[in-house]
Amino acid sequence: MKTLFINCSPKKSFSASSYLAAFQRLFVKGEKVTKKLRNKTDYAGMFQELQDADTVVLCMPLYVDGLPSHVLAFFEEAEPFFLENGLRPNLYCIANNGFIEGRQNESLMRVVENFCQRAGINWQGGVGIGGGVMLNVTRVILMVQAAIFFALYLISGIQTGKFWNTGYLAAFLPNAGVFLFLNAGVISFLLLMGLHINKASFFGKHYTRILIPSLVFVPCANVFFFILSLFQGGLFRGWLAKK
Amino acid sequence: MKVILHDLGLQSHEQLLTKCDEALFADGKYAPCQGCFGCWTKHPAECFIKDKLQKACRVLGRADELIIITKNLYGAYSVPIKNVMDRTIGASTPLSTFRGWEMHHVLRYKKHRLMKVLVYGDITDKEKETFTYMVKRNALNDGYKKTEVLFFTSAEEAEAAL
Repeated sequence: MKTLFINCSPKKSFSASSYLAAFQRLFVKGEKVTKKLRNKTDYAGMFQELQDADTVVLCMPLYVDGLPSHVLAFFEEAEPFFLENGLRPNLYCIANNGFIEGRQNESLMRVVENFCQRAGINWQGGVGIGGGVMLNVTRVILMVQAAIFFALYLISGIQTGKFWNTGYLAAFLPNAGVFLFLNAGVISFLLLMGLHINKASFFGKHYTRILIPSLVFVPCANVFFFILSLFQGGLFRGWLAKK
Repeated sequence: MKVILHDLGLQSHEQLLTKCDEALFADGKYAPCQGCFGCWTKHPAECFIKDKLQKACRVLGRADELIIITKNLYGAYSVPIKNVMDRTIGASTPLSTFRGWEMHHVLRYKKHRLMKVLVYGDITDKEKETFTYMVKRNALNDGYKKTEVLFFTSAEEAEAAL
């Protein structure tokens, strides 16, 4: 069984969609291929992979209550491709949005379902995830922390000659614990969806989020954008002005 | 200010210009959004891509009444129209608040009065439901007080309804 994961984020790297696709891959058996869909130049390679794909997993960000326009453009080309070639793969979708509520992905899910109906392929459901940007930030922070702890462990090992040192691992584990807690809802739903992908069965639409209360998340998101705007200079260029 | 955003063609565009304060023809001759947030964090209300949509958010942001004429695509806007919407999120600010008991962005401009969407082309009942639902979501997101969604079989009918 071949599963094609399509990362629909327009970003070159470190997108929330690529992170979620990588997580979903862990729970899927058989042949697995991941492709990026960023623009028209990706179409030919994508159609080649779709020829023998039993399952397609779309991973994408929510843009203005819907699909990013470049994904809609691909759908327009994919519809006749599926119909003319008589292909009927199972399609699942992982959508993420920057807001805290996963349910804000509902309209995107409905559009993907409508596409499946037109293209004659099997809509099997998906997961809508809230706080996608923040989840991705936690991933990056954890990766940086892991790299720092590993570097410190190596330096200390070289200096002392003792490589059996669990101190750095013990210091890193609480960070990994927090990461796993924040991602627990997402991991659970991706695990469940993985089971359905492996059985080629209907999963339905489900919504989850980063496990932070909304009243805490909103100020955190505002601080995040404040810091980002401070470093990128937007804060001094009429940040909130009516331009 | 009354703004019309449409994908009808150049000839219709000339006609539509006489019926509003600003008309935006979604001809698709522009790049899609790259998701960089630069229009919030780097150069507010301005996209880094230098094409006709670079400052389009300033027009949509000022609209008191926004009329969108679009072809149906799976219960959503046509590609050129959606491209414009994706590239104009600079009409809001990066800050978030609660609106309708949900998290949404703080608006850069004042609240808008009406978002009217005229959809044309082949459409199923389920797609009509999706479209109506999505426009309500857009209105909440972008701060429109009222929405109206109308369906037409052809572009000519949609244009004539204005």
